[in-house]
Amino acid sequence: MNGWTLAGTSFLASAVEAVEALTIVLAVGVTRSWPVALRGTAFALLVLGLIVALFGPLLHLVPIDQLKLVVGIVLTLFGLAWLRKAILRYTGRKALHDEDAAYAREVSALRAAEEAQADRIGLVTAFKAVLIEGLEVAIIVVTFGAASSAALGWSAAGAGAAVLLVIALGLALKQPASRVPENAMKFVVGIMLTSFGTFWTGEGLGIAWWGADLSLLLLAAFYLGVSAALVAAARVRGRVPA
Amino acid sequence: MSLAAIWEFIAGDSRRAPLAVALAVAVAVVLLRNSVPSTVVATAFAGIIAFGLAASVFEAR
Repeated sequence: MNGWTLAGTSFLASAVEAVEALTIVLAVGVTRSWPVALRGTAFALLVLGLIVALFGPLLHLVPIDQLKLVVGIVLTLFGLAWLRKAILRYTGRKALHDEDAAYAREVSALRAAEEAQADRIGLVTAFKAVLIEGLEVAIIVVTFGAASSAALGWSAAGAGAAVLLVIALGLALKQPASRVPENAMKFVVGIMLTSFGTFWTGEGLGIAWWGADLSLLLLAAFYLGVSAALVAAARVRGRVPA
Repeated sequence: MSLAAIWEFIAGDSRRAPLAVALAVAVAVVLLRNSVPSTVVATAFAGIIAFGLAASVFEAR
């Protein structure tokens, strides 16, 4: 299993979620204070790190075929959910994620909070945002890591690099990263997760994939083709009156 | 966190996609037990999942 592919998928998934979390953390930093925002973020990252450190190695206690089957099914479901939403956004049937609007909403809500509780609310808001967005990444890192300890290292490194990059971006811009092509990134991540999930589920069931890891590329190309066709078909259907 | 919330977190709000994954697994098991070549099983498996994706995109929301 190519480490760079695992790290790359983890990086993209992590970057997308980190950008969404950054929007909330920025809102807290601007309306309350940066120490409050960063404390909430740090606590959430600590919890996420513990989840990965604890569950990642634990998975290797499970027999490999059963592990691949379960992990594969989880990844396939996850990937299909991401891919479906990305396709619906491309066709206009689901709204694109608007970081500027999310930022404005959060700033408004935080400013409306009572002064006495505002710092506590800010801390909890930052903590929840980073934790919830980070949980999806933690699941991806842990399930990728089921392949081997090296795979866990690669996927964790990809996720970590993305988080550091987005933090640096946030510190430099001090505004929501609304120009990041989130939907395109989610589309690619969805294809990769579905491909990995299909591959591992198949291996867990006993399918001998043609060309071993090369089949991953073929699966990704297949799902890319199907998804592109679905975007085109859904757009045409949307233009035809019912 | 309820089981329904955990399920929705992992699988989203589609009904058809998870059903397609379950069907793909069931079909693969049956085919493998009947000694069908892996290439055929793999193609059917990926095809059913792709069909599930398509069905979920056009699912009423």
